[in-house]
Amino acid sequence: MSAEPVRFMRQHIALDYVTRVSPLAARFGEHLDRRQILGRRCPSCSLVYVPPRTFCPMCTVAMGEGDEVQVADRGTVTTFTILTPIQYHGQKEREDYALASILLDGADGTVGQQRLVEVDLADVRTGLRVEAVWAPEGERGGAAAGAMGFGFGGAIVGWKPTGEPDTPREQFADHVL
Amino acid sequence: MSEPLTAEHVLEFPGGYTRTTGPVIGRFLTELRAGRIVGVRTAEGRVLVPPLEYDPATGDPVTDEYVEVGPAGTVTASAWVTRPRPEHPLDRPFAWALVRLDGADTAFLHALDAGTPDAVRTGLRVRIRWRAEREGHLTDIECFEPEAGA
Repeated sequence: MSAEPVRFMRQHIALDYVTRVSPLAARFGEHLDRRQILGRRCPSCSLVYVPPRTFCPMCTVAMGEGDEVQVADRGTVTTFTILTPIQYHGQKEREDYALASILLDGADGTVGQQRLVEVDLADVRTGLRVEAVWAPEGERGGAAAGAMGFGFGGAIVGWKPTGEPDTPREQFADHVL
Repeated sequence: MSEPLTAEHVLEFPGGYTRTTGPVIGRFLTELRAGRIVGVRTAEGRVLVPPLEYDPATGDPVTDEYVEVGPAGTVTASAWVTRPRPEHPLDRPFAWALVRLDGADTAFLHALDAGTPDAVRTGLRVRIRWRAEREGHLTDIECFEPEAGA
C-alpha cells in the first residue's frame, strides 16, 4: 500500500440512454443501407427536405410516402471548417481534417458536419463538388443509420471531390451561413 | 406489432476526469485507503463527515483537527433503488442512505446493502463494509450493511 497522500481522484461521468427511432428515421436508414438518400418534397412549397420529415415546418403541411424523392449522393460544399484536433485524453483524431455543409443535388437544405476525404485541405473551398464515399455493404448500420435524425450515421464515411467544375457561387449563396 | 426500433446512446468524457482533491478531501481519501473514516472539526466544535475546507454553517475555515468516526452509524434518510444501473455500487437492489457515523454531526451518503426495502428505516444501525483492495477513492467503501441484530 502506498504511503503517498492521496491528491487526485478519478471521476467518471457518463449518461447512457435509449431512444426510440421514429418509423420515418428508420425508413431513411433503410434507404441509406441501399446507398439511397431519401428526401420528401413539400406538396405546398416544393422544398425538398433531407432527411425527410413528416411535415413541412414552413407550410405546416403533412408530407407522406407519396412525397418522397431520392436525391443525389453528390453535391456542393457550401461552408466548411478545418479542425485541428487537440490531443486531450481519448481524442482519436491525429491530423487536421475538414467538416463541411453540403447542398445535395436535388435537396433544398444542406447537411452539416460532413467529413471531407481524399482531398488536400488546401484545396477545400466553397463551391467544391463532392460525392459520397459509402461504407461497405453490411457496415452501413441498416435502419439505425437514420436514428440520430440528422446526418447519415455510419452509412457514409465521407465525401470526396468529383473533379467537376465548381458550382457557381450564386447557385448556393442562399445556403451559406 | 413488432418492437419499436431503438437506438442506444452514451454521453461520456472518455476515460473520465482526474481531478485534484485539495488538502482536506485528500486527507479523507488517504484515511479511507487505510480503512479509517475521518471528519474535520469546525471552529464551533462540530465534526463534518466527509470533511470540508469551510464550515457550511458559518463560512469559516475549519480547524486542522481530524477526528476518526464510525465505522458504525445511524440511517437518517434513505431511498430504495429497485433497478440498479451499471455504474451503481451494487448489482442488486439497494438503498441510497444518509448515515450519521458515530462521532459525526453530519450525515454521509453511500449505498446500503439491506436486501429488501422493508429492512431499511430511519434509525437503523449500520456499519461500513470495506473493500479488500483500497486505493484512496470513495469506492473503497463497498457499501453500508445493517449491523448484526439490527
